[in-house]
Amino acid sequence: MIVMKDRDKMKKKPDWLKVNYDIESVMEINELMNKLGLKTVCNEAGCPNLGECYKNQTATFMILGNICTRNCRFCKVETGHVEPIDPAEPSHLAEAVKTLGLKHVVITSVTRDDLPDGGAGHFARTIRTVKLLNPEVTIEVLIPDFQGNHASLDLVVEAEPDVINHNIETVRKFYSEVRPEADYDRSIALLSYVKQKAPSILTKTGMMVGLGETEADVLEVMDDCRKSGCDIFTIGQYLRPSEKHIEVKDYVSLETFSRFKKLGEEMGFSYIASEPLVRSSYQAEKALRER
Amino acid sequence: MKKNINMPKLSEEMVTGILAAWNKERGDWIEKGDVLFEIETEKVASQVESSVSGVLEEVFFENGDQIMVDQVVAVIDCHER
Repeated sequence: MIVMKDRDKMKKKPDWLKVNYDIESVMEINELMNKLGLKTVCNEAGCPNLGECYKNQTATFMILGNICTRNCRFCKVETGHVEPIDPAEPSHLAEAVKTLGLKHVVITSVTRDDLPDGGAGHFARTIRTVKLLNPEVTIEVLIPDFQGNHASLDLVVEAEPDVINHNIETVRKFYSEVRPEADYDRSIALLSYVKQKAPSILTKTGMMVGLGETEADVLEVMDDCRKSGCDIFTIGQYLRPSEKHIEVKDYVSLETFSRFKKLGEEMGFSYIASEPLVRSSYQAEKALRER
Repeated sequence: MKKNINMPKLSEEMVTGILAAWNKERGDWIEKGDVLFEIETEKVASQVESSVSGVLEEVFFENGDQIMVDQVVAVIDCHER
């Protein structure tokens, strides 16, 4: 069946928004994930870098199910009725890390406001299980805000991942529209708390641009994050997953991304990635090694 | 050996894909890893690489066509150059 589509519905994209897709590599990784009952945020969030990352035999694992209790307007992950935690998930994930031969693993999750600890205990179990089976691997967790609960954060910190990432996502003034159930100051406070609690753990955050924010708005976010002691900062272009999601207001130029990188370095971040297709987990190992 | 090139499923919910542009023509020699065509999605244009080397023997769709996932887009006659 062939149906012509009104391509005008899609906002004209700049030439640099092209990615390569290796069918066989994608199938190979998908088969491994299906076999082990694992999810990747690459698939669930429709990441544009999936083809490149899977070809390089890397993926970002998503734990605690694939249904989120929040409804952020930029995110493709489904919201709704969550499922029970899979107790075998930590060991399956550890096995996948070994099979793929990863040197650095990124683990993220949906937000689980329904759980008393927000899923922090499951994060901690996963970190420890991955370390047990893969003692040489470095671990980065990209965590939700756990509603600012310090006891939950402590569980993750005490499992001693190498990097704790929590994305600020957007500028303060767009929170009510873009992340209605989150809080800008709570996310900044989370980054500060982790750095104070465990200075040796690298902290990381990331944001998207293209929602209509000004350069001054972006610099304010970078400044707030740097003042929290944050080490690594990532900036990428927001890309709308579907017509149901918040619109792309503008495609930020390559020059502007370069300027953000330079300004971020001057602010004192030990590593800053600022390019259209940068996502918080994209080339995460490079950020850790080159900072 | 003939190898069918199917419309890939780029995301869980993808049912069809729009063929944005061909990078090769019928009769062209294809090296493994060469970009065959681009699929336009809401987020980006995905450049689909060939997993085999050979001659692009058949092309069933044109730019702008919307194609079902798994439908055969092209056929490559695989052999050594």
